[in-house]
Amino acid sequence: MLTITSLRVAYGKRIILKDISMKVIAGEIVAVIGPNGAGKTTLIRSVSGTLPVEAGQVQVKERDVAQLPVVQRARYLAVVPQARQIGGAYSVNQAIMMGRTAYMGWLGRESESDCKAVELAIRQTGLEGFEERSIAELSGGEQQRVLLARALAQDTPVLLLDEPTNHLDLQHQASLLSLVRQLTREKNLAVLMAIHDLNLVSSFADKVALLVGGELRKFGTPQEVLQATHISEAYQTQVDVVAHPLTGVPMIFPRDMLNT
Amino acid sequence: MLRKHPFLLNTLFLLIALIFSIGLGAVFIPPGTVLRILATQFPGIEIAPDWATSSSAIILSVRLPHTVLIALTGAALASSGAAYQGLFRNPLSDPYLIGVAAGAGLGAVIAMSLYWPTNLFGFYLIPIGAFVGAISTVLLVYNLAKVNGIVPLTTLILAGVAVGAFASALTSALMLRSDQQIHRAISFLLGGSPMMGWNPVIASLPYMIIGMGLLSFSGHALNVLQFGEEEAKQMGLAVDRAKIFVIVTASLTTAVAVAFSGVIGFVGLIVPHIIRMIWGPDYRRLIPLSVLAGATMLLLADMLARIILAPSTLPIGIVTAIFGAPFFLWILRRAKQEVFW
Repeated sequence: MLTITSLRVAYGKRIILKDISMKVIAGEIVAVIGPNGAGKTTLIRSVSGTLPVEAGQVQVKERDVAQLPVVQRARYLAVVPQARQIGGAYSVNQAIMMGRTAYMGWLGRESESDCKAVELAIRQTGLEGFEERSIAELSGGEQQRVLLARALAQDTPVLLLDEPTNHLDLQHQASLLSLVRQLTREKNLAVLMAIHDLNLVSSFADKVALLVGGELRKFGTPQEVLQATHISEAYQTQVDVVAHPLTGVPMIFPRDMLNT
Repeated sequence: MLRKHPFLLNTLFLLIALIFSIGLGAVFIPPGTVLRILATQFPGIEIAPDWATSSSAIILSVRLPHTVLIALTGAALASSGAAYQGLFRNPLSDPYLIGVAAGAGLGAVIAMSLYWPTNLFGFYLIPIGAFVGAISTVLLVYNLAKVNGIVPLTTLILAGVAVGAFASALTSALMLRSDQQIHRAISFLLGGSPMMGWNPVIASLPYMIIGMGLLSFSGHALNVLQFGEEEAKQMGLAVDRAKIFVIVTASLTTAVAVAFSGVIGFVGLIVPHIIRMIWGPDYRRLIPLSVLAGATMLLLADMLARIILAPSTLPIGIVTAIFGAPFFLWILRRAKQEVFW
């Protein structure tokens, strides 16, 4: 569904991403992990088309989305940014409706299908009853769900998430990611997600892409990628990997913990 | 109840303000008489005059054009203020505070010193000069104030004040070398006193209709822009095109207001904020409502300007500054908490 081929991104002379190739198939979550500065966010931004790409291709359903105008591209790719102070005291309903921009035209007149898409997105994210609340007064977890709903309203085959759990507490991290996983299956979405927390990755991702220094070091299932040798090398710190006692997924613990 | 019908309510306020503004002056003409005198201007309406013939002349050739020009000016400043606030995502943007008005004033004075309007055609040229001044200023201020792609509250105002002061200084410098007519132009521009008669009204109308009409169409784009340029792009907004569209139309609208009414501050700040507090931040409504409420607000300020020191008239810019400056400080304090903005 989402095919990235030999992607290369540079800021001036500094190369941020070199030769990244990967496939995200429909109904699957690919987590992009790696130490700070590895290029996770850059990958999301360049795939979304907001960062210029130096070489390579980003294809969705066999179309090169980098070549498409902004409006067209927004019908193939939707982005869920990090929840943070959102400008403007818009209502939840208004904010999600803005996800329909690619279908609306200049005046922003809401058609019946726009309203239906927004209603559906509100239902899918469990935001019923919040429609008229101002997004400014929502909690971080609620705001993040609004941003997810906005991306769903965009009605795209591909969803990109940029560290969506960053400002959330444990409970909201887990509930957001299980919601994302459920929607991925239900709507057969191809999901590419930059994320820090490796233990969330092992529980929620189908595939893992390990970036180090702008290069794709490993790509595979959590069991394949989240191995002590790979992670220790990539993050330059010794880790131990044990199987989760209930689910068997790999859990990662830094060795430093034992010294204190 | 009326809060649910913002357009009705604001139209009502505007009509009342218009009628009182026309009636107010050295000779007060009551609203009923004003309405009847105006009605006689429509073909097919015959009313036996029970008013002095001078009343009719005063209204039709002096007060009506003055009132219409003030209303247009207020509408233009408020709607372009709202648009600049949305564009820069900065609640303190006002055509005056970001220096655009001063730039437009400089452009207008240069236009007048090149070709003093002696006929209607001359009047049509002034806004073009003002527009060139306005758009140059806004681009300069925007690029000076931009830090990593965003325009912080304070740097925008600082850049606006500096560039505005520079433009005002150039305008004043023109005074030293120019003739009598330019003196007149400059004193009106800096003081914010509207021109007299129908010519400025007729000359500003087409620009105003184009400017405010197009601004009213940019509400959705401004809404989406509030999430930041990158997210707006990801949602499918052609951001660069939208920004250019808003900058050009807002600057045109400001320029026309300044060209015929001078530099009047704070209207573009106060009006959109009050509307936003009552009816929310949706720019699709905010801009047309600012048109209506801006007209009403400046008419009120103008009536005060005419009453306070009657029979002499205070420059309207002084009245708006007296009320606007404290409001500005209040917003400055509130904006830091980002509660309603």
